[in-house]
Amino acid sequence: MDLLWSPADIAFRDEVRHFLDEKLTPELRQFGRLMTSVYSDHEASLEWQRILHDRGWAAPAWPVEYGGCDWSLTQHYVFSRESTLAGAPSLSPMGIRMVAHAIVKFGTAAQKDYFLPRILTGEVFFCQGYSEPEAGSDLAALSMSAVEDGEDLICTGSKIWTTHAREANWMFALVRTSRSAKKQQGITFVLLEMTSPGVDVRPLVMTSGEEIQTQVFFDEVRVPKTNVIGQIGDGWTVAKYLLEFERGGGASAPALQVMAEEVTAAATAQPGPDGDRLIDDPAFSRKLAEARIRTDVLEVLEYRVLATLENGGHPGSASSMLKILSTELSQTLTELAMEAAGPRGRAYQPHATRPGGPVAHYQPPPDGYVGGEPWQAVAPLRYLNDRAGSIYAGSNEIQRNILAKAALGL
Amino acid sequence: MDFRLSDEQEMLRKGLDKFLATRYGLDRSRAAAKTGAGWQPDVWRAFADDLGILGAALPERVGGSGGGPVEVMVIAESLGHALVVEPYVNTAVVAAGLLLRAGGQAATKVVELIAVGQAVVSLAAAEEQSGDRWLDIATTAHRDGAGWALSGAKMMVLDAPIATHLLITARTENGLSPFLVDVTAVERGLEMHAFRTVDDRRAADLVLDDLRLPHDALLGQEGQAWPSLAQARDEGAAAVCAEAVGAMRRVVADTVDYAKQRHQFGQPIGSFQALQHRMVDMHMELEQSVAAVYLATLNLGADPATRARAVSAAKATVGRAARFVGQNAVQLHGGMGMTEELAIGHYFKRLTAVQYEYGTTDHHVTRYAQLTRR
Repeated sequence: MDLLWSPADIAFRDEVRHFLDEKLTPELRQFGRLMTSVYSDHEASLEWQRILHDRGWAAPAWPVEYGGCDWSLTQHYVFSRESTLAGAPSLSPMGIRMVAHAIVKFGTAAQKDYFLPRILTGEVFFCQGYSEPEAGSDLAALSMSAVEDGEDLICTGSKIWTTHAREANWMFALVRTSRSAKKQQGITFVLLEMTSPGVDVRPLVMTSGEEIQTQVFFDEVRVPKTNVIGQIGDGWTVAKYLLEFERGGGASAPALQVMAEEVTAAATAQPGPDGDRLIDDPAFSRKLAEARIRTDVLEVLEYRVLATLENGGHPGSASSMLKILSTELSQTLTELAMEAAGPRGRAYQPHATRPGGPVAHYQPPPDGYVGGEPWQAVAPLRYLNDRAGSIYAGSNEIQRNILAKAALGL
Repeated sequence: MDFRLSDEQEMLRKGLDKFLATRYGLDRSRAAAKTGAGWQPDVWRAFADDLGILGAALPERVGGSGGGPVEVMVIAESLGHALVVEPYVNTAVVAAGLLLRAGGQAATKVVELIAVGQAVVSLAAAEEQSGDRWLDIATTAHRDGAGWALSGAKMMVLDAPIATHLLITARTENGLSPFLVDVTAVERGLEMHAFRTVDDRRAADLVLDDLRLPHDALLGQEGQAWPSLAQARDEGAAAVCAEAVGAMRRVVADTVDYAKQRHQFGQPIGSFQALQHRMVDMHMELEQSVAAVYLATLNLGADPATRARAVSAAKATVGRAARFVGQNAVQLHGGMGMTEELAIGHYFKRLTAVQYEYGTTDHHVTRYAQLTRR
């Protein structure tokens, strides 16, 4: 039993570090560091994807024949960890990390040939059409209709919480092709082009002022049946397969470590309530220590899941636990960053940040003035945006339901 | 990155679990703990003779099997699961570690006795005014001819009433040192006020009034004991964390079982979402504690600062978990959780006590903060 990386993993880590040192420009790092949510600036994200693609590392988890890497799970973790620690922009999860896996598993040869290379280059950029106004945690209650008409499906309805719908040129969506007693039946997984007539995207202004999420309306939008993934009526099977990728543990501890380091650095520079440094204030220091302890422990939990998978085991419901722990911890760290930002934490200065989308109704000062440090401008926006962590990808209440059943047999 | 036990470690665990399942029933062990000597010497002998756990983590040169922190973790977790009161951690981990690092003939002899189950060694470190700060003590040791004379008072010395030997910390003009005391050889100068702890262990307050000891009672180099004591404290903390994990495994399992069996409003109370989510939170506290114990155990051999950070992270995590899991196990058992009728009440008391052993939760959070501050 040990917590050590193997010599081969260390060699791989050094290879990744070397690559990041060389290719991750200060400008790109800045985009990573000044992110206000889990979403990077769209252009920066695509630029980084192109650089990764040149190296063959844009989609390491894909099968090698489609452009993936022949990496062990540990190497995937190391790559993700090093990229995060170096401040690389995140890639959109929707194309490379989600729909591509459905295409690989359920797609036709024509679908694979068309979509996979274009997802890799960024030419095809996907958004996800799952949630609807009346189908959130209860996803299978979705009602956007798709009526067969010759070679097409005619889709009418609405999707919500669609990230980057304006930037995307394709959407993968769950639509209802029939109704039966069991609501999971009669759902179909389709790929639809965002330029199709009848698609209307309306941005949602979030509390941070950012327009990353949207609601998308569909008015008799024609989708060729050749764009169905899997069988008509069997979309739930595809969706369940993808949920595994969305919820799969992954490497969240490194991002939390970066956040904790940032808060520590901030609290070292900021005054505390008694005039000393904030880091020396017993109340703040205690909260920060507790959050950092949780981060240290979460890292070991992630390593344990990784080791279980490497040894051919099943982590069971551990991914639900990691989702709860990492999102709640992230929220705690954004609270601490807000506290560290002091009075500046209430200043609204999105122009000093690199948000994941446009900011509505905002005029930056003509001279570009920024009060305080950039991280102080980031802190409140992250705090606001990070409330999403316990809501998205299966709310933490849903995850607790899953754990009650799967881990405790209740 | 490997979290699997070796075949030998698996065998050790299985053998110990099997022994405890057949020989260490809760009724019998509580009866022994609450009456008479307060422990089961025959169980202790079996630990040495039949199972070999007392020497499992000790070097072969003193009669051990040459194991290390992982063996301690495995053993302590199994003992915690069965709520064993016999002093494995205090004697075979903490005291044995101090004696081994001190070296010398007298100390080595006692470690050999520990390995064969013939010594129980109790560390007398805390004092009334020092509280839990082992460094900040008032007990003194003066040279007395060829030997030493100790004066002062110690409190909450766990296992002292059943100990064959004591390790008493005292200040000489050169600093802090532990002194080895063979309890059977003491004629005068040592007063022992014995009592039971809330978690059914034995302890005593000690009054040292010019306690005369031979010259070789001083362990290690005079006044230089703090690094070894700090290490012993970290090793004790890590082992107690593993013990708490064993206890929490039992408590979470019992609580889930109870929630499935207990019916109210015509259905099992485990079908209510409020209770389900509470039990999931208990489960997650337990899983974090398991990871925390790995973190501490696998860093015990690291440099002192890395070791201290890992151990404090673990003890703070387990302290938080022990409180949450213990209190909510009682809550979910309802009134029955407050009685001594069910196992839960006994485990709750132990899970309370572990929060205070080898540094409180607060102490470890504070130490962690100091270690990560810039």
